[in-house]
Amino acid sequence: MTLGYLVRRLLAVILVLFVVTFAVFAITMILPGNAAVMILGEYGTEEAVAAMERRLGLDRPWYIQYLDWIGGILRGDLGQSLRLSLPVADVVGDAFWNSASLAVTSLVSVTVIAIPLGVLAAIKRGTVADLVIGIFSYIGASMPEFVTATLLLIFLAGPALGLFPAGGFVSPGESLGGFSSHVVLPAATLGLILTAHISRQVRSEMSEVLSSDYIRAARLKGLRERRVIRRHALPNSLAPAVAVISLDIGYLLGGIIVVEEIFAWPGLGRLLIYALENRDLPVIQAITLVLATVYALSNLLSDIVIAILDPRVRYA
Amino acid sequence: MAGGNARGADSVTPVLEVSGYSLSYATPSGPVHALKNVDLRVTHGQTHGLVGESGSGKSSLAWAILRYLPENAIENDGRLLLSGENLRDRTHPQILEIRGRRISMVFQDPSTSLNPAMRLGEQLSEVLIRHRGLSLQEALEESEAALARTGIAKPGDMLRRYPHEASGGEKQRVVIATAFACNPELIVFDEPTTALDIITAQQILELFNQLQDETSISALYISHDLGLVSRVADVVSVINSGEIVESGPCAEVFRTPRNDYTKALLDAVPNPKQWLGVKEPPSEAPALMSAKGVTVEYGRQSLLGQLLAPKPTHLGAQEVSIEVRKGELVGLVGESGSGKSTMGKVLSGLQDFDGVVRFGDRDFARLAQIDRAYRRAVQIVFQHPDASLNPRQRVREILSRPLKLYDIVPREQRAERIARLLEQVRLPPEFADRLPHQLSGGEKQRVAIARAFAAEPELVICDEITASLDVSVQASVAELLVSLQRQTGTACLFITHDLNLVRQLAHRICVMQHGRLMDAFHRDDAEGPDRNPYTRALLKAVPPPASQAA
Amino acid sequence: MTGLGLLLLVMGAATLGPLLAPYDPQAFHPATRLQGPSAAHWLGTDQFGRDLLSRLLNGAPSTVYFGLGATLLGVGAGSMIGVIAGTAGGWLDSVIMRILDGLLAVPELLFTLLIVTFLGGGMGQAMLAVAIAFTPGMARIARSSVLSIRTREYVLAAVARGERAHYIVLREVLPNAVGPIIVEATIRVAFAIMIGATLGFLGLGAQPPSTEWGLMVAEARQFMFRNAWTVAVPGVAIAMAAMGFNLFGDALRDSLDPRRSR
Repeated sequence: MTLGYLVRRLLAVILVLFVVTFAVFAITMILPGNAAVMILGEYGTEEAVAAMERRLGLDRPWYIQYLDWIGGILRGDLGQSLRLSLPVADVVGDAFWNSASLAVTSLVSVTVIAIPLGVLAAIKRGTVADLVIGIFSYIGASMPEFVTATLLLIFLAGPALGLFPAGGFVSPGESLGGFSSHVVLPAATLGLILTAHISRQVRSEMSEVLSSDYIRAARLKGLRERRVIRRHALPNSLAPAVAVISLDIGYLLGGIIVVEEIFAWPGLGRLLIYALENRDLPVIQAITLVLATVYALSNLLSDIVIAILDPRVRYA
Repeated sequence: MAGGNARGADSVTPVLEVSGYSLSYATPSGPVHALKNVDLRVTHGQTHGLVGESGSGKSSLAWAILRYLPENAIENDGRLLLSGENLRDRTHPQILEIRGRRISMVFQDPSTSLNPAMRLGEQLSEVLIRHRGLSLQEALEESEAALARTGIAKPGDMLRRYPHEASGGEKQRVVIATAFACNPELIVFDEPTTALDIITAQQILELFNQLQDETSISALYISHDLGLVSRVADVVSVINSGEIVESGPCAEVFRTPRNDYTKALLDAVPNPKQWLGVKEPPSEAPALMSAKGVTVEYGRQSLLGQLLAPKPTHLGAQEVSIEVRKGELVGLVGESGSGKSTMGKVLSGLQDFDGVVRFGDRDFARLAQIDRAYRRAVQIVFQHPDASLNPRQRVREILSRPLKLYDIVPREQRAERIARLLEQVRLPPEFADRLPHQLSGGEKQRVAIARAFAAEPELVICDEITASLDVSVQASVAELLVSLQRQTGTACLFITHDLNLVRQLAHRICVMQHGRLMDAFHRDDAEGPDRNPYTRALLKAVPPPASQAA
Repeated sequence: MTGLGLLLLVMGAATLGPLLAPYDPQAFHPATRLQGPSAAHWLGTDQFGRDLLSRLLNGAPSTVYFGLGATLLGVGAGSMIGVIAGTAGGWLDSVIMRILDGLLAVPELLFTLLIVTFLGGGMGQAMLAVAIAFTPGMARIARSSVLSIRTREYVLAAVARGERAHYIVLREVLPNAVGPIIVEATIRVAFAIMIGATLGFLGLGAQPPSTEWGLMVAEARQFMFRNAWTVAVPGVAIAMAAMGFNLFGDALRDSLDPRRSR
């Protein structure tokens, strides 16, 4: 892997983000549902709407508005929230770290659980263990987050057990214990569907590796099964597993919106729903861009990790 | 018990003795028989060749000996004895001690049988650590020595490489060194040269013979290639549909085969001395097609692409000139990556090029100029019978397409013409209603040939059309092509890696290497003194089988 | 087999459900509020005493057909774009792919939320939003499917023969490229059902008095600690509908790809 490769990949990420800014702008500008009308409510007079449009700069041609917006982003100025009368950067910045704490907790636990589960299912293919993992993964992959969240709330946060708080947030800096007890249910909700999906993908990658010629060759050398699995099979199924996880980060970033809303987690998702309800355009645009950037960068990161794991890619 | 010492203690006991062994696989539609009552002996220091076509059960026997059978395998009570011990009585842990130490294996394709994520050194030394209890350091030192014996120039350097950093021949040497590492009693070679290029395969074969002389190892050498087996084996067994039909000393079986199947197999092996082709057109016959200075550059990018992800370009063909006269068959020979298929693509209008292709009295200087008239006159048949027919079209539809496209016959005569085409490629008329998956490999290739000839072309390009077929089928497809040529007078460019085959068919032969035309000669001059060194190396690498050499 | 059975059950409920409902799904019966399952009410009743089974059956079409409709639209648009990119190649392919890369960087649920907000809530809008959000992903699948077929020898043979472009695309490439597209589409129906229910739950999809399942969960959440049935019944129903399509899609994939079977 060379510096040139990294530079090319970074350029590609920038290109992707450029397309994202354009798409976000198109959705928020071209689709019906005028922001000025939304802000003033349906009782706003025509003059008031026109005045609001002027104030927001919505009366200018779209490309001027776009260039203005992009210029702001490049200067680090994301604009002013229409509803909260605060700089967007401050509002989104706080929410970002809250979301990150939830997403990272969830992703780390998913990785730790899903990969061994998938590997186990592939090794024990056709046994009861495989079947149980398979059934679990189908159920997990078919439950929308709001259903999982609601069921978890009923059983673990309800009056009967009351093991965890039903919602809210304590920052880890403030109290690690408080953070932990609050993060369990939302992280579990996000994690269920990802664990289901990733373990199934890892199972199929691992099964493919186990049926390859070089695994057969390793077995015919008389190597013990433990070495065949650990030294020959696992390293070859890790790179595909990383690729699957990086793709699923996109899913995680979508799921986090619903989960934060249900568990009153003050992150980007909850902020987004608030902004959508209030047509707070600058906030909506900023959040979408942040989530897309995180996704694009995590894909880049996973490509780098894959290059480290797989010698064939490393020198390509 | 310690198996390693049993060897040599009793030179009468064969190293491997298979007796009365049968194997079948349970499938939902009943058992499928793979091996029937097989008897086979490999004595000390002997190389036993096992020859059969695909599906003959030859690989099943290898898996059975190594006790590596799928769960649906059903065995009878036949015996598999290694130096007198019945392998079938051994527990799984005991088998693990035997594999790699007392029996080892060399596989067909080194690019899939080596682990892509492990250095070659680790893959070689791990058997020494496992079976001889060496430390990592000792194992690596011994690996280096073992690799040196296989003729690798810088073995220490090779040990540090990953498989993708080594050539096919180097990788197969590592696999062979691994198989010899623990000095086993028996090595099973499963088509060890099939995936390699001609000259590399020849070098691996020489290496095998050299190691065999040095170590007097006992080997079971499995192959579909009779000619090749005749050069390594002392004893040969021919297997057909799971049964050993003939067995005996190599020279004897090849010179005086008793079984009909063996005879048919031997007859099917291409013999350069036996001319099959059509009569040569007179030397003053005008050129039908001539390519002049054709160059193909792969990986050419747009300006934007060069900026974002510049990749090096490489030349698929460089200043290649080839001429085919009316009614002639020209052989185009080369190893993989030589550019022979690139030329096939250029001439069939699938690949852009620089240079000039002259057809009849018209010149074409790039892909965009290739027109319908050219495309009708030049047809192509591809290598893979499984991929060359649209799986969703019936044979009737496949064959009617060129008829319709070029308006060869009026609509009402199409059915009749299709029947005639099928007859010409010796397929029954009811095959018109079949889908490709209902045909065998050879039958598919016949349909593909019929499709090419349906257009009534003047030149047919055959790109490795026999390479994916079994030996016996290869011969009949080649023979079919010649008979069609005789009937229609169509010229042919026959692209192949098989020199023996092409010398039976072609009037003139062109040799390519690394995208360049190295040599072009009349078939009578194939062994002449003015041949290019590369041509000579190719010819030397594929001597005709023992039976024909006489 | 399980997948097919579940799928038939789900499709049957979606098609015949409203006719089979034993009670009026909207009729209030304050006397029998928040009851568990009984002989009269197999799945219990909700906060207004409405029969849950009847509401479930009544809401099946708006949940299941939503998923089917949204996927069909998205698959249609996406395949068209993917096939054009895959067959055209060159700069057009590059431009389409760069745009798709950008759109794919926006998580699908976020994409849907953005579109549905600006289109305004409601079933039709939500369906269109999901379809638009699915389009880039489907386009990518369709493109790679076409690319893998385009280099097959029978397609090259057609090109060499001088066949016209539309014959090659329609007769040689497409019939052989649809397999992966159909598999992906089937699995996406499950995903669309889940997104549709999520939108209903968030109040951005189906509106009351619809008995769409996501909306049912949202309306019952207030009482979930008193009677878990009211949320569990529609919640599990959504999961089962999605699972039917997931299982069926995987079975389809295995049957198309013998290498992956077992």
